[in-house]
Amino acid sequence: MLQLVRVAKTYGVKVIFKDVSCAFAPGSVSLLVGGNGAGKSTLMRVMAGLSRPSAGEARLAEHVRVGYLGHATFLYPGLTALENLAFWRDACGLAFSRKDLMAALERVGLEAHAQERAGVFSRGMAQRLNLARILMQEPNLLLLDEPGTGLDASSLALLRREVMEARSREACVILISHDLAGDAPLADRLLALDGRRLAYDGPPAGYRPMGATAAPENATDAAPDSAQGSAPDNTADNGAAKAAAALAHGASGNPPDSAHEGRHECGQASRHECGQAKARSGEHSGTDGDTPQGGPQCCA
Amino acid sequence: MLRLTLAMARKDLSLTLSRGSGLVQALLLGLLLLFVFSLSQGVGERMTPQSAAAVFWLSSAFCQVLIFNQLYALEEANNSRLGLLLCPAPIQAVWLGKGCAGLILLLLAQIVFLPAGVIFLGQELSGPLPQGLAALALTDVGMCAMGSLLGALAQGQAARESLLSIVLFPLLTPLLLAGISVGAQALGAPSADGPGIWLGVAAAFDAVFLGAGLLLFGHIYAGDE
Repeated sequence: MLQLVRVAKTYGVKVIFKDVSCAFAPGSVSLLVGGNGAGKSTLMRVMAGLSRPSAGEARLAEHVRVGYLGHATFLYPGLTALENLAFWRDACGLAFSRKDLMAALERVGLEAHAQERAGVFSRGMAQRLNLARILMQEPNLLLLDEPGTGLDASSLALLRREVMEARSREACVILISHDLAGDAPLADRLLALDGRRLAYDGPPAGYRPMGATAAPENATDAAPDSAQGSAPDNTADNGAAKAAAALAHGASGNPPDSAHEGRHECGQASRHECGQAKARSGEHSGTDGDTPQGGPQCCA
Repeated sequence: MLRLTLAMARKDLSLTLSRGSGLVQALLLGLLLLFVFSLSQGVGERMTPQSAAAVFWLSSAFCQVLIFNQLYALEEANNSRLGLLLCPAPIQAVWLGKGCAGLILLLLAQIVFLPAGVIFLGQELSGPLPQGLAALALTDVGMCAMGSLLGALAQGQAARESLLSIVLFPLLTPLLLAGISVGAQALGAPSADGPGIWLGVAAAFDAVFLGAGLLLFGHIYAGDE
């Protein structure tokens, strides 16, 4: 459905990333991670065709409907929720009636706010409306750039449900997230950008953010105490270990909600760690005998 | 393409007219220009039809710059431009939709400018009115075709007003000349040639600007940030 061949992106002399090659199949969910400034959003724009690669090629199959949910909501603050959907319906050439639009709003729990201007919506409500805008197009390539930002627990659950729904109708979903613990269980595959390259491409369970130490199966619960007991500046390492443990939990079949309990702490730690993440396969496999799910599968 | 064009024009008109601020600002600027130029006349003096037509088109041109800045700013609030780029319809529909919305808003403004110009500048509509209206329509179409194209170029720029004015006005000169010449005749100025040649000039530039819009808009609007 989507194939990247040695894609690079530069702004002037600054290289954002290079030599990124991968392919995405229908009916899959891929999680794209990396630190701030690693180029995740830029790569996603390249995937969507919104930005031209400086080198290489992004090949999108014909007749692919792309749904892109980025940091901006694409909504018009002066229009009501219903008018926003009606505009995007016309813009996308969809033959939906008003009833269908109301059904789309109902799907994201906004039917009671149909006549309210989008400008007065909270971030979470705007993101729900944005989700309704995308889902009504039934895209077969769904690109989600940190869609969980600013969402409450119920909105996050809705988002994750829709991701699973998209996969079940054979859509290809690519998701950028800093919430490894919460989102990795949704994914079939994880890609990590680091050092201006695609540093990891494999199953989520095999990914270890830099600094993640031993991650036993029950580390999610045990980590806070041990973190307090050890040196204070080791908290990030412990957080990374928790994130890794959560990945192991997710891979072992736990549903997303079960991993959600430790999500906040793990998410923060992952965010910190991913900023300097290096998938050091040699280091990890050489030192950590108890790497979850068989240790890292880095491809740097 | 037609559906996106209509949706874009309807949305832009709805947002601009419901909020009002964009059009009111453009109207006030145009009226201010007309009023200030009326002060250049002494008591009992009458401005020549040529000058009055020039002031009318100057007001319209400034008004048009503000209108297209306003229209393209609507997509900046939540970066809706990216969403439009992902739509399956040809992206030229955005240019056409905004051009249509801009044309309607400009005509609304000119409905106010025309009587205001006649009153402030002491004019009479004593010339050939159909030709005057044809010149008005042709000049407006060309101005909006170019305004919509350059509005896209200027969007997101900090100095977009000046960028739009600097690039737009030199390109519009032939059209404005046509509008002024035929407008002056409509206000009673004598002419040996008649309005035909200027209407031809306006139509030719319309064709060039419409073609340029269709060809260039996609490159301008889809450019990397």
